[in-house]
Amino acid sequence: MTLSTLAGDIQLVGLTKTYGSATALDAIDLHIPAGSLTVIVGPSGCGKSTLLRVLSGLETASTGGLLLGGAPLTDQRAGDRDVAMVFQDYALYPHMSVAANLSFGLRLQARHDRRNGPSTAEITRRVADVAGLLGLDALLERKPAQLSGGQRQRVALGRAIIRRPQVLLLDEPLSALDSQLRASARAEILRLHREIGATLVLVTHDQHEALSMATHLVVMDAGRVAQSGTAEELFHRPATEFVATFVGSPAMNLQPEQTGDGRVGWRATDATVLPDVRHPAAVPASGDLVVSGTTELCEFTGDGQQVLVRNDERSFTITQHEGDSWLRPGEPMHAIIPASRLHHFDSNGHRRHAS
Amino acid sequence: MPTADRTRSVAWHVVLIGVILMMTFPVLWGILTSFKPANDIYSLTPFSAQPTLDHYVHALTAWPVGLLLGNTFVMAAGVVIGQVLIAILGAFALAYFAPRYRNLVLTLLTISLAIPPQALIIPQFLMTAKLGWLNTDVGLIVPQLGSSALAVLLLLQHVDGLPGSLLNAARLDGARPLEVLWSIVLPALRPAIAAVSILVFITTWNEYLWPLLVAPRQIDTTVQIGLRQFETAEGTNFGGLLAAATLTSLPILIVYLVASRRITDAFLQSGLK
Repeated sequence: MTLSTLAGDIQLVGLTKTYGSATALDAIDLHIPAGSLTVIVGPSGCGKSTLLRVLSGLETASTGGLLLGGAPLTDQRAGDRDVAMVFQDYALYPHMSVAANLSFGLRLQARHDRRNGPSTAEITRRVADVAGLLGLDALLERKPAQLSGGQRQRVALGRAIIRRPQVLLLDEPLSALDSQLRASARAEILRLHREIGATLVLVTHDQHEALSMATHLVVMDAGRVAQSGTAEELFHRPATEFVATFVGSPAMNLQPEQTGDGRVGWRATDATVLPDVRHPAAVPASGDLVVSGTTELCEFTGDGQQVLVRNDERSFTITQHEGDSWLRPGEPMHAIIPASRLHHFDSNGHRRHAS
Repeated sequence: MPTADRTRSVAWHVVLIGVILMMTFPVLWGILTSFKPANDIYSLTPFSAQPTLDHYVHALTAWPVGLLLGNTFVMAAGVVIGQVLIAILGAFALAYFAPRYRNLVLTLLTISLAIPPQALIIPQFLMTAKLGWLNTDVGLIVPQLGSSALAVLLLLQHVDGLPGSLLNAARLDGARPLEVLWSIVLPALRPAIAAVSILVFITTWNEYLWPLLVAPRQIDTTVQIGLRQFETAEGTNFGGLLAAATLTSLPILIVYLVASRRITDAFLQSGLK
């Protein structure tokens, strides 16, 4: 493991957090690259929010180390760390105007350190900068209660970045917004990431959001890191059955290997529907997988349809695209998945290295 | 409205009005009696044929009403300030730092509410006497700060009710604990603090036993004790007593008129009285 001293580079070494007898984080080793947009995703209770709280300093790790830019952070107070956070509910100070919300941290800095802290003029300038960056100029005198959900989120982002932190933590930043606002809020976060150059660590339970935003994706399960890497890596080469079924929608289909040892997985989009098993194209090459069953449910998705197929042993999902001859409920179905598209897992759920 | 509902509603109102009359009757009778001439005091007619202000004149001239009201006000204000200060700091510390012994403290506070004040009054009196605080404002105020438990518990409910992310956001903005209290918690708690202040003020204003013990002298004591001056060896001057009692209720009545809504809320929240 190499230690980076780049500003904004985060290294977690054997980080463990326990609450009484419950283990929230179980010996986490993780590298969050400087300047990345790292998305931590996992089901609820997997420890992703706890990880964020430990990074912020709101919680202290039970054991293990935490380095920011190569310097240990484990004992540094929250607020003294070069780390800012946007909360899920935004946590805007209700009795303060937008301008006062934005400048709160800077005003505290000025009070704590009269010599090196920002001057009043500096604070005014930086509030104006951030307001300009986030389009909040016209809202500076408003109170949070007078803002829309999207505006509140932008204020929360502004309050976090005004101190120019090395690391910006975002806890489920999109979950409080309705679906129309989400797309624009997502674009806003991506733009902000480009412009401020800080490391962004975003926590979400939504794997769509995770795949689309992450430059670095971390999947967590039961207090451990299941896999980390680029979204493509995790999607195309999931390290475990858990990652395989959690990342991507619909979830990867899994069934026992024909050899009886471990399981084989394939994505709904990788199956090609055959008109007939006796069709010439149906002759499987070595290692290809042929599946068949009865079409049970067809869901129109706009550019295609998702088909639930059931046979005597199990059910699975395949995706058909526009132009395919569409299956109808009740019809028999045969499909082939080429060997190169199959994922093989051993009996412990780990990816076989050969595959 | 269906007849059944109507009957029920009327029945309820009869009961409610009856209860209200029962509760207000002594007060109203006292006020009415304070306008009766001395020889009519014991008559059962509510209104005297010759109403008089004599008793009020007597109470205002022969009785040190200003001094007594001043003493009471100093005591009540001192206790309010002290208890609210203790409650704010205590509730904030218990909520913000969530110490390991938080539940122990809460249990102790609750237990202290269950102990009747009369059980503690002798040791409290002895300590106050030893400190040389008899017949002083300090003696009236400081020992009463010992009964801050209710104020702490009431405010704690409100601090606990604040979103945790709000306090955490302030912490991450670099605020020290007292800055979190001052900049974030206090502004959010203003209505609750007002309610608790009023609750403590009224309770203290009506306090009888403690001032009677600590400051029995006419010049040091509160109105509640000062009223005893109308009980003399030759009997009680009921006219003067009732006129004075009416006068001393006025400040509380004014507080009620100004903030009736808040007071109702305060008493309802405290689950008392």
